[in-house]
Amino acid sequence: MIEVKDLTFSYGKDKQALHGLNFTVEDGEIFGFLGPNGSGKSTTQKILTGILKGHGGSVSLFGQDISAAHTQEFFQKIGVLFELPYLYANLSAIDNLKYFSSFYPKGQLRDIEEVLDELEFKPDFLKKPVSSYSKGMRQRASMARALISNPRLLFLDEPTSGLDPSGAVLFRRIIEAERKKGTTVFLTTHNMLDADLLCDRVAFISNGNIMALDTPKNLKEQNSNHRVVIHYLYQGKREERTVEAPELEAGIPFAHDKIISIHSQEPTLEDMFIKYTGRGLS
Amino acid sequence: MWKSFYSLFKKDCRMMISGKIFLMSFGFLILYTLYVNLGYIKFMDAGIYNVYLYDPAGTQTTVSPLVQQVPSKEVLDSVLLDDTNGVGIDASDGEPQLIFYEGTEKADRHRADYAFSLLQPSGNYSAGVVGSNTPEQKARKDITCELLFFEIAAVGFLGIAAVLFKEKGMGVIRVHAILPLSKNLFILSKLVIFLLSDLIFAILLTVLNVGLSDTASILPAVLLQTALLSLIMALTGLICALLLKDFRQFTLAYLLIAVFVSTPVFLSANTAVKLDWVRFHPFYHIYMGLKNAYFGTPAASPFYYLGAVGAIAALFAAVQFVFRREIGKEG
Repeated sequence: MIEVKDLTFSYGKDKQALHGLNFTVEDGEIFGFLGPNGSGKSTTQKILTGILKGHGGSVSLFGQDISAAHTQEFFQKIGVLFELPYLYANLSAIDNLKYFSSFYPKGQLRDIEEVLDELEFKPDFLKKPVSSYSKGMRQRASMARALISNPRLLFLDEPTSGLDPSGAVLFRRIIEAERKKGTTVFLTTHNMLDADLLCDRVAFISNGNIMALDTPKNLKEQNSNHRVVIHYLYQGKREERTVEAPELEAGIPFAHDKIISIHSQEPTLEDMFIKYTGRGLS
Repeated sequence: MWKSFYSLFKKDCRMMISGKIFLMSFGFLILYTLYVNLGYIKFMDAGIYNVYLYDPAGTQTTVSPLVQQVPSKEVLDSVLLDDTNGVGIDASDGEPQLIFYEGTEKADRHRADYAFSLLQPSGNYSAGVVGSNTPEQKARKDITCELLFFEIAAVGFLGIAAVLFKEKGMGVIRVHAILPLSKNLFILSKLVIFLLSDLIFAILLTVLNVGLSDTASILPAVLLQTALLSLIMALTGLICALLLKDFRQFTLAYLLIAVFVSTPVFLSANTAVKLDWVRFHPFYHIYMGLKNAYFGTPAASPFYYLGAVGAIAALFAAVQFVFRREIGKEG
């Protein structure tokens, strides 16, 4: 679906934003593009969505070189959720969606009310102006805008931003459903839980370079110290011991009366983020 | 393409309505019409200088009926004491001598010429009549032209910037970058809506203040000049709104542009201030184009139209550039 080779981009002479990125995104994959602010995530996404021109290297989408791909047919096949919910504040969610969907062929459009219903949009607000919406409602209306055209390739920038935990769960479920339909998802986020739960593969980008690219599981395994922490009871006392994972192959290697819990010491995706980008999450 | 254009156009109309831009234009139309009909025309109709003649021997034979005869030199002095703007003519020795209170040099010359022209209506002092407009009709066309120029240059320009700043503030311009439509349509729909609104404004203002019968003959030329000015100002407004950060910054730029566009033109066209360099001012030519259109004077040279179309094309290219820059900005 997306093939990027030696992608470079610079804002002016001395401001090189991307230093030769290489990655591919397969059809129907959810690909996480993770990195701190200013690392080159947005620049990459803007190049892929045709907003920024003048890049180096080669980029192809839908099997076509990007320079030829950014036609109206291309834009009909993609959906983009921006980091901020950009909507006409004086129009209602329905009117916003009617307006934005009017640029697509009727045959590919989903039913507006059905999409909003799927996003658990409060029916009372359907005809009220966006200016009266909460952040979460705006994000729902914005997500509906990205989904309304049934895109084959979906670019999502911080999709769960501004949502409460149940809203975030709902959005993850919807993104999963999109994947099941065969939609390819290019996900840009700081939310490592989203990335961990949703992404088939993730790339960590820092200072315009991809520092690591693999499945979240592989990345965590590769960086694991292969230790487990065991909490247990022995002679009436609660104890804790850290052991090397291979030691467990022959059973618990110490005397105990009862095992309370076993925790692997596998790193989280957040640990990976810090390791590969050199910066913590705010 | 037409479907996309229609969607953009409909949305822009809604933005204009919610921004009360049409209401503002309608308000200005009413205000200008009231000013022209209840203020300006009445003011311009005010009596000119009174001319008093003392000619006991009846030496002046072609005197206009507007001249008031006085029986004696004392009466002449006495009326001039009361009417300090009046002009007295003492022809008691056969040779007319002017008597009036000294004012400014130009006004004094005007008063002298006027008095002599009344004394000899067919003589050298009488002004030739150009065109077929009555003084009132001329005044109506003059002021309508000025108000239309001001409305498009200053008020309409503000309107287009206000609408675009709203869209910029909401971030929706960036959404258009990923929609399946030609990006130029986004600019074109705004130009068309402002052009149409300016043309409708020009028609209504002209009909209400110049009169229906005169409007019919001058309207095509007026609309052509209105269209040129409207497009130039709308594109300038778009550039400013895209380049500048917020409406506060824009107000300063607006002030500078409005002063640049309007002041030299009005000063040169309406006052005795002589600005030799005004012919190098691009808006002077547009203003004169509009004025000539109101007075039915043949169209300006092809170079004027080439220049105007070239300016519109250059401004459109600049808008395209800054528009692409805006949609590429960070969210």
